[in-house]
Amino acid sequence: MNIAGPDAAATYEAARRRARLREKLAPWLLVSPALAITLFFFAVPIVYMARMSFNEKIDQRFYVPGFTFDHYSSLLTDSAFSNAIWTTAKLSFGVSIATTLIGYAFALLVWMKPRRWRFMFIALALCPMLISEISIIFGWWVFFPRNGLLSYVLTTMGLLSDKVGLLYTEYAAFVGLVYLILPFSFFILLSLFDGIDKKLLEASSDLGASPIVTFYEVLLPLTKGGIAASFAQSFIWAIGTYATPSALGPDTLWTIGYLIQEQMLSRHNWPKAAAFSMVLAAGVGVVMMMIRSVSAKRTPING
Amino acid sequence: MVNATVPSPMQVKSNAQAGILKFSSWGFVAFIVIYLLTPIIVTLLMSFSDASALRFPIREWSTKWYGDFFASPQWTDALLNSLMIAVGTTVISTTCGVVAAWAFEKYEFRFKPLLYLLVMLPLFMPGVVLGLGVAMAMGSADILGYQLYGSRLIVMLAHSLWAIPLVFMLMETTFRTVDHRIVEASYDLGGRPFQTFFEIVLPSVSTGIVSSALFAFVISLNEFVMALFLTTRDTQTLPVLMWLSLRSAGTPRLAVASVVLACTVIISLAIIMVWHSRQLRKAQA
Repeated sequence: MNIAGPDAAATYEAARRRARLREKLAPWLLVSPALAITLFFFAVPIVYMARMSFNEKIDQRFYVPGFTFDHYSSLLTDSAFSNAIWTTAKLSFGVSIATTLIGYAFALLVWMKPRRWRFMFIALALCPMLISEISIIFGWWVFFPRNGLLSYVLTTMGLLSDKVGLLYTEYAAFVGLVYLILPFSFFILLSLFDGIDKKLLEASSDLGASPIVTFYEVLLPLTKGGIAASFAQSFIWAIGTYATPSALGPDTLWTIGYLIQEQMLSRHNWPKAAAFSMVLAAGVGVVMMMIRSVSAKRTPING
Repeated sequence: MVNATVPSPMQVKSNAQAGILKFSSWGFVAFIVIYLLTPIIVTLLMSFSDASALRFPIREWSTKWYGDFFASPQWTDALLNSLMIAVGTTVISTTCGVVAAWAFEKYEFRFKPLLYLLVMLPLFMPGVVLGLGVAMAMGSADILGYQLYGSRLIVMLAHSLWAIPLVFMLMETTFRTVDHRIVEASYDLGGRPFQTFFEIVLPSVSTGIVSSALFAFVISLNEFVMALFLTTRDTQTLPVLMWLSLRSAGTPRLAVASVVLACTVIISLAIIMVWHSRQLRKAQA
């Protein structure tokens, strides 16, 4: 057989080039659907909102094209708005401390208890995640008021002589928010504990350390990064969640998220809603940067 | 030297501490169980109340509010909308997330870390920011005469912003467990990349795909802040309707809606888990 040397070489070369091109294009083709949705429904809206936040609000119109910093400066000058930032930060800080503490104790417990309990505890911790936020709100909403279950149980047990209504208090908002966010910090911390060799505890106690000393000297240093990650993660969730505090808390409990919704849906003030959203998004971004710098461990954020 | 028969003071102290810890750990278990179950039990009890006001104690029990829920077109339509949107979100986000994760596992390309951050970022954004942004930017968009705003499609796409990163994250870790020698073998035997992906790779990560699809489904079914900004009266989902009626007046119908929503989640979890384990058994046989 006579093999046409140069021809075969050319086809071979062409095939290789095509294969290389395919190798280069394939990942972009595969990423493109996810990328398109993220660009059109996340990046574009964020940029649009950034621009919108500088527009002016005149009369009853949603917005008037313009360029003003008024909406941002009103966050500092208008006490109602600056209070909202302060309220959001305070509430989120308290909630994050609570979820991290309870989540830590819960994760430690699940890790230490015999394995047969594990499935039950994890199913329990999944409850707040599988239930809609609105159903959680509703549950606490009929638990706390004067005619709610709490008041009924306390009065029938004789612990209280008169009905007590805790709905629309900061306490109710706090309990609801912690409930909503607890599973996130629990699962972060549990995955951390699962990576620790339990023999370390035996070794520590064999060497004569009491449980409390073991906790401070062995467990705490090993889980420090997870505590920071859990705190930051809870904080991000807490500042972004407005439905729970606004439905369970007092009317005066204005969080940023609530203000955004109010400006958009009731006042039809698009620029102001956009400006507040940008501030909230920036707050989330700052916390994310902090997690990135604090935790060396692989987390969803610093992959 | 520690004597074996006489415990040292340190050991006594240690035992006492262990006793206290054991006691307080049971106390904590009681607290956490009560805390996590309270809203669920309260809602379940309330859904069987006969009264029209939300108050304890419940004097008469009945299932009349269940009948009321399923007889009301407003509420059943909302449930139907929720289901359609959740299924749509699941399909969109699972497809997009799985192929994107495969690209990240299989290929090296430029801007990879940047793309990773971009795809993951929406997961950490509050729903109110995402919902508002999409509502503002897409509010007047219509594609070939199709009004995007207020449609179910826009809610599916908005929910996908949360669902895609989740699927992507789960699938990325799942794909790492794929044995690359099998993939190479398929290529060596003349399998095309497309064919290899569908016939070799996907079946070996089916558990990962099913669980990420479930995540997407549950997230979309339960979400209401984005949906609140993006739906109209015709497309409003069950959680949105619940939120709006909570603001006006509460009746046990809301408790029924909560129970129905939670049951939908649990039933779909159960169906898919049973179906999937059967598929796995079939594959093994």
